[in-house]
Amino acid sequence: MNGPVRPYVITGGRSRPTRTDLAIESLVSALPGPLGLPEPPALPEHVLLNREHRRILGLCHSLLSVAEVAAHLGLPLGVVKVLVGDLWDLGAVQVLPPVPQAERLPTTLLEEVLVGLRQLR
Amino acid sequence: MASANSAEAPASRPSGPQYLPSSVQGAVKILVTGPFGVGKTTLVGSLSEITPLRTEETMTAASSGVDDLTGRGDKTTTTVALDFGRITLNSRLALYLFGTPGQQRFWPLWDDLSRGALGAIAMVDLRRPDESFDVLGRLEEQRIPFAVAVNTFPDTPSYPEEELRSALDVLPEVPILYCDARDRRQSYDLLIDFVDHLHRSSLLELQP
Ligand SMILES: Nc1nc2c(ncn2[C@@H]2O[C@H](COP(=O)(O)OP(=O)(O)OP(=O)(O)O)[C@@H](O)[C@H]2O)c(=O)[nH]1
Ligand SMILES: [Mg+2]
Repeated sequence: MNGPVRPYVITGGRSRPTRTDLAIESLVSALPGPLGLPEPPALPEHVLLNREHRRILGLCHSLLSVAEVAAHLGLPLGVVKVLVGDLWDLGAVQVLPPVPQAERLPTTLLEEVLVGLRQLR
Repeated sequence: MASANSAEAPASRPSGPQYLPSSVQGAVKILVTGPFGVGKTTLVGSLSEITPLRTEETMTAASSGVDDLTGRGDKTTTTVALDFGRITLNSRLALYLFGTPGQQRFWPLWDDLSRGALGAIAMVDLRRPDESFDVLGRLEEQRIPFAVAVNTFPDTPSYPEEELRSALDVLPEVPILYCDARDRRQSYDLLIDFVDHLHRSSLLELQP
């Protein structure tokens, strides 16, 4: 299977987000805590908060998408998904998943998009 | 609604992060796709409330898969650049527009990019329509709702719609729209027509 190659070191060797439901349009913001970081005992052994985790926490004091985080930090999307997944697991960030959609798009959601666009036009 | 946008974009710091209002509860996305140089970045830029951003994903063409991460050996690594923009639709909902290259060699990334998308705008340059065949086929296969957007360049030939439809081989229910992607108003009208089409299609599906 073909797939994206992610830099090995930054992600601690993992190539997959721990939460597979992270999308490029998922919205992220750091949760308030001591320095925006979880207490050390909350850290699972395999996760060390590295410099890039800390940069994400520093950037996301308000809402941004996963894609915006990647663009502002100059990291590939796949890497950011992994790192945000770590922070999510640790309870250090809040992630708003993409607006849920069934196979059939909810008419009300499309209506909301349409009304918004017409007002902004 | 307009205030939610203008408050977010201080003109003095165009490249810093422009945060969403904290009231936003989620986001939707639409892909803007098409062949090389068709106008994807231009369209995203005309529609976006933020300075368009660029992010990259690396992709390998080798068959050894995601777990061999050395990036060496005989693999070809391609970097795919995605341009994207954002529109805050109201205090609760944001729309992201992702400029996604439409060439076949980028398809390994398509599943991930298109998952959950409302739909795709497939841009076509009528001076070289054949370059769009790949992506139109892919959208049909993946059952992503889409519209064709003919980007009007000064020397774009004009064809009667039926001729165009059969040349591009798109079904009657796929809208064929026109715009100059450099123009904000035309780009907005294109996006509104597309979402209106999606909305009307979803209403039809609801009927017994
Ligand atoms: N006349 C005219 N020129 C356009 C239009 N849209 C884009 N262009 C021009 O066409 C060129 C290519 O546009 P881009 O937006 O960079 O195209 P792209 O699809 O992002 O290209 P790649 O990312 O390289 O695949 C630029 O010089 C644009 O100014 C249009 O609607 N009308
Ligand atoms: Mg481009």
